[in-house]
Amino acid sequence: MGFFSKLFKGGEDPANTLVSPVDGKAVAISEVSDPTFSEEILGKGLAIKPSSNTVYSPCDGTIDLMFDTGHAVNLISDSGIEILIHIGLDTVSLKGKHFKTLKNTGDKVKKGDALIEFEREEIANEGFDTIIPIVICNSDSYSSIKPVTGVDVKKGDNILSLEK
Amino acid sequence: MKSFDYVIKDELGIHARPAGILVKKLAAVKSSVTIAVKAKDKSADAKRLMAVMKMAVKQGDTVTVTVEGEDEDAAVAEIEQFFKENF
Repeated sequence: MGFFSKLFKGGEDPANTLVSPVDGKAVAISEVSDPTFSEEILGKGLAIKPSSNTVYSPCDGTIDLMFDTGHAVNLISDSGIEILIHIGLDTVSLKGKHFKTLKNTGDKVKKGDALIEFEREEIANEGFDTIIPIVICNSDSYSSIKPVTGVDVKKGDNILSLEK
Repeated sequence: MKSFDYVIKDELGIHARPAGILVKKLAAVKSSVTIAVKAKDKSADAKRLMAVMKMAVKQGDTVTVTVEGEDEDAAVAEIEQFFKENF
């Protein structure tokens, strides 16, 4: 944790910090091989190459939309951050196969609550990229959005800080 | 105020990516744009990404798109064409 405590030292506002929803490697959003994400059409953020199979809440907030296909979830943090977590690329076409939702639209969640289980190996075996983009849909509301990239992260590690 | 109805053809409906390209397209429009599925009694500001995703528009849904503002005449035609090409 030395790296992270250094990176986020001093005055970090927990209400405007997201923690990792999954274990894996954090990479720049520009590395996602889907222009919808890499060109920031949906907003700024980062992506995690997962090494585990459950997505947890990155903040205290409300589930604005649990996609019925289970491949994505929208959350609004208690501080107003609009977050899309998208599990894998083009995985909407799996129509729910390999995904199990653990929460529903409208549910209040706490940081670290389990949201979705996904069968990472099976999704990869079907030819899908399992990378998980995490996007701030209201990026325009923030003057600064700073992700960590190029490092291994554990569920619950700080991965993104925002400033109004 | 101008509007059109359109039946969604895309098998997967308006999920994250299509919502993103719609909102990006509409960023260039000055008028306000509302998307509604009257049969489900839902509507949203079509320029707000999370709101559009929350509509969870499905294949076969009839959406009503309403455009209101100074560039509504040109915008409504352009947006209808965009729906035909993308959704």
